[in-house]
Amino acid sequence: MDIQVELFSILRDKLPPELKGKTSLHLNEGATLEDLLQELGISRKVVISVNEVQVTDHSRKLVNGEKVMIFSAVGGG
Amino acid sequence: MAHGYHGKILHVDLTKGKFLVEEPGESFYRKYLGGSALAMHYLLRDMPANADPLGPDNILVFALSVVTGAAISGQSRLTAAAKSPLTGAIGDSQGGGFFPAELKFAGFDALVIKGKSPKPVYIWIKDGQYELRDASHLWGSITGEVEKAIRTELEDKKIEVLQIGPAGEKAVRFAGIFSNSNRANGRTGMGAVMGSKNLKAVAVRGKNRPSIADKSRLTKLAKWGTENLDESDIAGLAKFGTNETTGANQATGTLPAYNYNSGVFEGWEKIDGPTMYDTVLRGAAEGNQDRVGRDTCYACAVRCKRVVEINNGPYQVDPYYGGPEYETTSTFGNYCAIDDLAAICKANEICNKYGLDTISCGATISWAFEAFNEGKLTLDDTDGLDLSWGNADSMVKLTEKIALREGFGDILAEGSERAAKQIGRGTEAYLITFKGQEAPAHMPRVKRSLALVYAANPFGADHQSHEHDPVIEDDFEYYTERLGVMGFTERTETRSLSPEKIRFTVASQRLYSAMDSLTICQFVFGSSWQLYGPEDIVELVQSVTGWEDFSYADIEKVGERRINMMRAFNAREGIDRKQDLVPEKLFKPLKGGVSDGWKLDKAEFGSALDKYYELSGWEIASGLPTPAKLKELELEWVADLI
Repeated sequence: MDIQVELFSILRDKLPPELKGKTSLHLNEGATLEDLLQELGISRKVVISVNEVQVTDHSRKLVNGEKVMIFSAVGGG
Repeated sequence: MAHGYHGKILHVDLTKGKFLVEEPGESFYRKYLGGSALAMHYLLRDMPANADPLGPDNILVFALSVVTGAAISGQSRLTAAAKSPLTGAIGDSQGGGFFPAELKFAGFDALVIKGKSPKPVYIWIKDGQYELRDASHLWGSITGEVEKAIRTELEDKKIEVLQIGPAGEKAVRFAGIFSNSNRANGRTGMGAVMGSKNLKAVAVRGKNRPSIADKSRLTKLAKWGTENLDESDIAGLAKFGTNETTGANQATGTLPAYNYNSGVFEGWEKIDGPTMYDTVLRGAAEGNQDRVGRDTCYACAVRCKRVVEINNGPYQVDPYYGGPEYETTSTFGNYCAIDDLAAICKANEICNKYGLDTISCGATISWAFEAFNEGKLTLDDTDGLDLSWGNADSMVKLTEKIALREGFGDILAEGSERAAKQIGRGTEAYLITFKGQEAPAHMPRVKRSLALVYAANPFGADHQSHEHDPVIEDDFEYYTERLGVMGFTERTETRSLSPEKIRFTVASQRLYSAMDSLTICQFVFGSSWQLYGPEDIVELVQSVTGWEDFSYADIEKVGERRINMMRAFNAREGIDRKQDLVPEKLFKPLKGGVSDGWKLDKAEFGSALDKYYELSGWEIASGLPTPAKLKELELEWVADLI
């Protein structure tokens, strides 16, 4: 299946610079958010939205065509 | 022998034009550490009750700490404290840059300024020498011009200048105090206090660096931070600035929009940190922004400060005045439903030129936007400005009118709460103020502990007074080691105000209170996600001062002491639990996005406030420190004042 992925902030560095954090990834059927994070090499604390809805359970299975946004974030100010 | 500090406090009586140097002993510095706690000592000791915040009886303290100027990231910060003309309660603000370290090198740990000069003056301090100089020729000038003029007339380009802009001179109630023309002690109107004293600036220069007790130990700590920065949780904050958080706040429904009616904003991606980095940071066009588009504070490796340069279009921006933080892009942006990044950068430039707090300024404008959109204000009220949601041009024009107290801007210069009172028509319903201070851009309807701290904080709504909820909720597993140092071993439920969440709120508020007394940066040091954790703060103090018996318990104690002194200051002004309020708006549901429908509950908030007072050792009915608590904190003399 194909998943649209958007990486923000420092996570953009996981992809070639010209992509500005946006790409499409092919994953095996039944892949989870945890599998996606591993594929991208992301181990730090992140905030994830799937189809514009925040998801905290990284065992959630992905569905073909879904859009996953991954943010690195701290307190701010 | 003292290490890290001079043991010298400079008292300035502007009415008489006199100086006095006080030399407190080590026990004084151990008790207060510096910064905000030290300032509270003088404000309680020397200011009469019920002083006019814009009168000569108010006292303005600028305070460093025992670690300011040490060669490590995150230490060059300064407290500015006085009675607030915005809230009528204690005022307190923190700011960074190069001025704090330079003041230390000029020979003093703090300035205590009282009275009112008969004419505009500035204070000039160099290598332990000090004088008042005429500032009549500087009065009315913007920050960048004043900085350059002082450096020219004193013939030293390396002088650091702390100053007010025209907004402080005109007593805009949320005027700030600025150094580098782009670093703000922004909150609670300290710039208006400085202006009321006819004090335009403080200029400093010096080579008198205090000794460090254990240089190799400090160097090891500093080097560890530099080497681990890129892999730390603040790596993104360093590269993309505080605006890196915009996206995550949108994703979690905590991005205040439409004057706090929503927790999401459809235009967020046009104003977030990566967009700023790609488009308006100096050097972005050449891909050179990491070198020339990021600025820093003295000895700090993080380099999170933004430098924006825009040379075309309707909003051209001078890089001399830096760039907006997350708070600024939020209040001028999502609060007002504005997604024009250049306009937001322009509003930030105006605030830094004229000396305004961007949080209160943007939030006051967003209050006016809502009143206009609800038909409570008309073009007749607003000098013809169309304040429809998203109108960037009106927002920029209104910012300048506030700075100069022109027309409708003169009403808004009083802050949104006074403006609502003056205008009436039900506009009080649109306020997002706590004790009269406008709320920063972190959402209490989602991060519930913020409601407690915004309400109970002695100086009004503040997002830097404790650690936010996610650390003890969903993110807990990432920080178990550091949180263990603070005594927390279990996560709490999301969006709860459980007893354990409140215990964490109280404990982290004490830590952050102590950090504002150590005047250290809350991105570099903190409870959890920061570069350095609680034990590293102990290591910092020990290595700089040589106080080998200094422990985390001492940090907690100083933090608690400061909060209690602030509550005592407020008690003397007649401020107690009755003012620990949450604006009505926050009990109404958010609209749209992932936080749609979320709101605060009055009964839950009231119970949580009771628990917060109980854990603080305060009277539940009044919310005031008990004599026993003050005695426990070695503040018997404060108990006698209230």
